Amino acid sequence: MSVHDWIDFAKGPLFAFTFLVMVLGLLRHVIIQVSSLITGKGRRLRSAPWRRIIADALSWVIPIRHMTRGTVIFSVVSFLFHIGIILVPVLLIDHIVMWEEQLGIDLPAIGRGLADVLTLFTIAAILVLLGFRIFGSRQRSMSSRIDYLLLVMILLPFASGYAAGHANVNPLSWEAMMLTHLLSAEVLFVLVPFTKLAHIVLFFFDRISGLHWQLRPGAGDKVAHALFGEEAKV
Amino acid sequence: MPETPEITAATQRTLQGQRLKYYIENEPAGDRVDQFLRAFAAVLEFSDYRPLLDSYCTSSAKCNRCAVSCPVYLATGDPRDIPCYRTNLLLDIYRRYFTIGGAVEARFSRSFELTDDVIDDMLEVFYRCTACRRCTRSCPMGVDHGLITRLGRYALSLIGIVPKALQVSVREQLEGDTHNTSKVPKEALMNTLEFLSEELEDILGVTMTFPVDQTDRDYVFYCAVSDYLMEPETLMGNAAVLYAAGDWDKWTIGTGNYDGINYGLFYSDWHLENIIKRLVAEVTRLRGRNVLIGECGHASRSAHDFVPVFGGKEAYPVVSFIEYTLDCIRKKRITLNPDIITERVTYHDPCNIARSGWIVEQPRDILRSFVKNFVDMVPHGQENYCCGGGGGLVSVDEIHDFRMEIGGRVKAEQLQKVHADIVIAPCANCKKQLKELVEYYELPCKVMGLHDLILKAIEIPGAKSPAERAEEAALLAV
Repeated sequence: MSVHDWIDFAKGPLFAFTFLVMVLGLLRHVIIQVSSLITGKGRRLRSAPWRRIIADALSWVIPIRHMTRGTVIFSVVSFLFHIGIILVPVLLIDHIVMWEEQLGIDLPAIGRGLADVLTLFTIAAILVLLGFRIFGSRQRSMSSRIDYLLLVMILLPFASGYAAGHANVNPLSWEAMMLTHLLSAEVLFVLVPFTKLAHIVLFFFDRISGLHWQLRPGAGDKVAHALFGEEAKV
Repeated sequence: MPETPEITAATQRTLQGQRLKYYIENEPAGDRVDQFLRAFAAVLEFSDYRPLLDSYCTSSAKCNRCAVSCPVYLATGDPRDIPCYRTNLLLDIYRRYFTIGGAVEARFSRSFELTDDVIDDMLEVFYRCTACRRCTRSCPMGVDHGLITRLGRYALSLIGIVPKALQVSVREQLEGDTHNTSKVPKEALMNTLEFLSEELEDILGVTMTFPVDQTDRDYVFYCAVSDYLMEPETLMGNAAVLYAAGDWDKWTIGTGNYDGINYGLFYSDWHLENIIKRLVAEVTRLRGRNVLIGECGHASRSAHDFVPVFGGKEAYPVVSFIEYTLDCIRKKRITLNPDIITERVTYHDPCNIARSGWIVEQPRDILRSFVKNFVDMVPHGQENYCCGGGGGLVSVDEIHDFRMEIGGRVKAEQLQKVHADIVIAPCANCKKQLKELVEYYELPCKVMGLHDLILKAIEIPGAKSPAERAEEAALLAV
């Protein structure tokens, strides 16, 4: 197989497969969350303070008012990072063609210039976030290998995609860079449902997790009886 | 004793060494790890925390944004005080012992293992948290660290690890003769009410006999029972508002249950539910129509949020006394004299009513209606800092130093900066903690309840005017 065959394979069946793994994996999370909320909470969902919960969740879409002392730089960088990783993979013209070919979805594209700027912002944001994790003692104390690895894994398709599209910054051949781009993105697709990247969908459930204060009536007594018998005492 | 509550890198270094030690009634004997896992398994089996834990386990980004929102972390700078660290203690246990992924991982690699050291770590960090939930508002993902800390405390309590002060209080409330946390017998309650009537007659010049065990009333009143012993001014303020609004024959205190305190909110689903059921049963016995909660943050929240959950068909509406008073002002049923309070006044938001946004502006609207020199602390409202005694910690006397030096340090710093003569705290727990903080750091301000201040300014037809009362009080003070 020539390198072009590999690229075609990565663009075709491998893309479809890994994308499917991601979608099904995320769908599994959604189904588990929705069904357990409905079956677990049932009628108690009605008495939940929905207005408050939804208003709070929406306030995080553009989290300006949540930027407090000590969180401003992280918040701005993180926001730019998310704008980039949502818009560029979905709306870049080359990706639009793939969506159309592989999935039959027709989306409007963003201009190449804007995509380039967003990509560079994203790369810079990833490097800053990595810097926080490596050099910030607080973040370092909480970070495990996967936290660093995922940032690098996200960096790879962005950096290789940009290099593939700009011959002047590409140290390798277009083919090598494109293959790196495709394969790293596809590894990321597979990782999404099994890592914290699943917050693509779980974010919405976490944001409404105030619902879990709607505790299950009778559960406390059952726990006490199971552990201490029917005559359980405080 | 420190001269200033200001936090510096040097104070942080000193404070990092302070460990929390609270009395436990019966230390668990035997294998604590096994006991904890059995207790946690029972909670997971009968409650419905699994989807929440599944989601948090997967999506927690460990970005540490929550760290700078936590007053305990701000005081110590200790990584163990980062809310996300605390949450992950429990999530690690859940992931390892209660998910398939964790079991598989454990077979093939050296993964996390629950040990006695981890239990010791939980025992400490879950009670270093004041359950103020400020971190929950700063988590971009929406992880409710307060809910997880509470769940951790719940599982620990099931193996006997819980501050003795909380356990003894709950036991008296649910199984004791007095059915309240301060062991106030009915006779003592009646004596206190009689004393309050006499005081009110002295202060206002009108006779008010407190309604007890009256049936078919609009409101059945609950306050933190400790208020009957320690906060007579707040209760007299409550009474004055009810009297001035013409609602004296519309409320009652029930002698079957007169304690709004619910420590179950801080550490146990089991106790939370049963205390709520007792509260609801008393309203039913008296054929009351609403639950009226006095000045207490956690009592208000536990009734407001959990009567609908556990009350079943008897889920009576819960009204906060602050909302009731504001409604009376807006409908011009009561009048507050704007010339009486001349001091600089600030307002401390009790976390349990402010964090959710439920009661933030109402008390400020009340205060601005009659206090000329009102000033807010920065930050305040939903973003307020805890007094340092939240989550039941204020009731644990043996951790007084922790509450002063660490838990309440940021609040003390705020109080110092605001330069107020009076700090209003409509919560029994906050008041106790703030009074101790003011004394500890020698801050030049006085801590009062909201209705203590209202009592000074309320106009009551046929009673002494606020100006007359102020004169009399000044004479007495001399």
